[in-house]
Amino acid sequence: MEELKNNSGTIQYIVIRVGEEQYGIDIKYVDNIIHMCSITRVPKVAPYVKGVINVRGEVIPVMNIRTKMGLPEAEYTKNSRIVIIKSEQQGFVGLIVDAVKEVVTLEVDGIEKMSYDRNGKDMFVTGVGKHQGGLISLLDLNEVLAE
Amino acid sequence: MDVSQYLEIFLDETREHLQNLNTEILNLEQDPENEDTINEIFRAAHSLKGMAGTMGYKRMQALTHHMENVFSEVRNGTIKIKSHMIDILFQCLDALEEYTANIQENSDEGTNDNEALTKLLNDCLKTEEEETAAEAAVEETKQTEAPASSSEDKWNDIPLDDTQKHVLSEAIKQGRKVYGITVKVQESCILKAARAFLVFKAVEELGEIAISAPSAQDIEDEKFDLEFSIIVITDSTLEEVLGDIRSVSEIEGACGAEMTEFGGTQDQASQAKEEAPEEPKNVPAKEVPSEKAPAAAAAPAAAQGGAKHEKKAGGKAVGNRTVRVDIEKLDVLMNLVSELIIAKNSLVSAASQTGESNAAVDSQIEYLENVTTNLHESVMKVRMVPIESVVNKFPRMIRDLTKKLNKQMELHMSGEETELDRTVVDEIGDPLMHLLRNSADHGLESAEVRKERGKPEVGSIFLDAYQDGNNVIIEVKDDGNGIDVEKVKAKAIERGTITPDQALNMSDKEVIDLLFLPSFSTAKEVTDVSGRGVGLDVVKSKIEMLGGEVEVKTKLGEGSTWTIRLPLTLAIIQALMVEVGGEKYAISLNSVTTLENIAPSEVKLVQSEEVIHLRGSVIPLVRLNEVLDIESTRKEGENMIVAIVKKGDKLAGLVVDKLMGQQEIVIKSLGKFIGKSRLISGATILGDGEVALILDANVLI
Repeated sequence: MEELKNNSGTIQYIVIRVGEEQYGIDIKYVDNIIHMCSITRVPKVAPYVKGVINVRGEVIPVMNIRTKMGLPEAEYTKNSRIVIIKSEQQGFVGLIVDAVKEVVTLEVDGIEKMSYDRNGKDMFVTGVGKHQGGLISLLDLNEVLAE
Repeated sequence: MDVSQYLEIFLDETREHLQNLNTEILNLEQDPENEDTINEIFRAAHSLKGMAGTMGYKRMQALTHHMENVFSEVRNGTIKIKSHMIDILFQCLDALEEYTANIQENSDEGTNDNEALTKLLNDCLKTEEEETAAEAAVEETKQTEAPASSSEDKWNDIPLDDTQKHVLSEAIKQGRKVYGITVKVQESCILKAARAFLVFKAVEELGEIAISAPSAQDIEDEKFDLEFSIIVITDSTLEEVLGDIRSVSEIEGACGAEMTEFGGTQDQASQAKEEAPEEPKNVPAKEVPSEKAPAAAAAPAAAQGGAKHEKKAGGKAVGNRTVRVDIEKLDVLMNLVSELIIAKNSLVSAASQTGESNAAVDSQIEYLENVTTNLHESVMKVRMVPIESVVNKFPRMIRDLTKKLNKQMELHMSGEETELDRTVVDEIGDPLMHLLRNSADHGLESAEVRKERGKPEVGSIFLDAYQDGNNVIIEVKDDGNGIDVEKVKAKAIERGTITPDQALNMSDKEVIDLLFLPSFSTAKEVTDVSGRGVGLDVVKSKIEMLGGEVEVKTKLGEGSTWTIRLPLTLAIIQALMVEVGGEKYAISLNSVTTLENIAPSEVKLVQSEEVIHLRGSVIPLVRLNEVLDIESTRKEGENMIVAIVKKGDKLAGLVVDKLMGQQEIVIKSLGKFIGKSRLISGATILGDGEVALILDANVLI
């Protein structure tokens, strides 16, 4: 029992930066991380959907996580990345983030569950983890990708 | 023996045979005397029996065996087809289909013995047998003579044509020996074809098999009874050959003799010379009535098979010229072709970007383009199957409906050979069935009403398929009542779908389109044939899912025509590439009729909508930049480039900024996340790696 817990006791997260805050994405949902590329606009869709891109011959929709969180749009910089998420419900979706920082391993026990109110950007967060003195908000991808 | 690996093939082939039986029995109902039909049914039933037996499905085997018995008698002329027999036969087919369905689901045929059916089948035999008892007695006496001559020297009965005779006499001239051999398989043998194959193999080690009766193909398909005959060219002695044959297990015996003159052996030369050359075909035919039903199974098939194949000199095992391929493998192939076309497009765009044109590169690219286009077409053709496999079940369905609805009707089909992509064919069956049932149930009037209206009492339903450019059109037409627009309106108002005010302003066409809304059924009573309200909307959405469209034209009192238009292929299309506000879009070239250059002064306003007059028709204008929410790059006052697109007989003019030319594009989905955008039907990857969206012109019209 003790051993089982140890095996499943850690989760790896990819840490991204959006604005001044850092967020963690469970690595098992991440298919790929690519540099910014040319995005083809799709008309008549939600404002956070930026369009579609070509990743290795597949057409993949991309969304801007800033817009989704209600933050003002920012210029893309050389640090901007597209994190390709593979979701069971939505298939492949690209998330535009301000930067991808590192991969961290967090103890499940060390994660604090969030009880959030359903407005503002907190609603996309399931919990908060601590890493080297900093706080990482863990993203709830189902909420991020939900319409 | 483990037969599970053959299960798929078994199921496929069983379905084919059942379909075949359905069709042929329907033919038989029209023409009970037709010998070809009877033979075909007999053969199908016999193959089914053999297959079921091999796979160990005893009940299925037993039922087909009884069916075969009946047909054997029919073929011998001892009994005649009567209408009640047709019904029994259809019930048998249903029972067989049930077995097949059971087998597919849990690899077991189930426990239904269908004793009642078996009894009915046997009754057919009995009543007729009594009637023809006298006749049968005569047959019996004949029987005693025939086998005596047949079992020993059957090789003499093998019909030889001139080429074969020539081949044999050449062999003798070269000092080789020619033997006629008849091999008998033990009655208990389960895999006769396999044993025969071993015999063939053994003989081929010593020499070559010049001719076999039944043909190699028929033997392979187990279309023979317990015996088969071969003519062998070899350097070995007769004893060696016979010895090797007898060493194959489950072979009861083999006998043979040397042949020096084609058509007969030395010993029996006198007899053979008289009979064999003149009427070789008659000999096996004569045996037919003499032997009892199941045993006779193979002989006629053999005679037929032999006759059919005798022209193929050499008579070596002729392999089937078709291959069964899993559709998934074809999907993979199609994807690879798609990738290749994208790569080719990239190459074209890379070559044009270097600036200087290189004649050698250009001509090679042109060649490559040629190859990829042909490759695409070939793969597409491989995926195409005739719609026959789907529409063949409809005559039976209409026949059943005739009885169920108590209406007289006939189905006339044409264009069954029209081909469509396999995926489309798999999906189109249900919508078509629905439209046909709809015509039968709602469309056609009862016989009395038809008589009053001066129409023939038997209603007609037509199913016509044909290719029209890059589309395939399937029409379901009836000469029934047509759609009563007023009734539809009343129903829609009653259901609250539309308000009475709306109803006043609706055109007939708009009213008819209401039928395609979910849960809309105008049948006064719900029958189990159609009219449960799950219907036309499902038909429509299914056809749209396949990239097609459905339309209906109707005239009250005269009938309706439902027209389904389907694209030939789903994955790769020819597109017109245009630019709007600096963005690239693709429009299926299929829907584009012409390209026009229009001066701004030619644009008129009708009911505050922009239209243009073009060759006598008024065409509404759609400014794509407005639809797509983007600034046009065209300067004020400049001429407009307009692509005229059509949907059915409606036209619209799409205003674009720039034309970029025609290109073969691979359709990709936008992904679930963006969902089905009405305006955009998909995306494609251009030569430079960028993504361009595909506009669905049909939505804009």
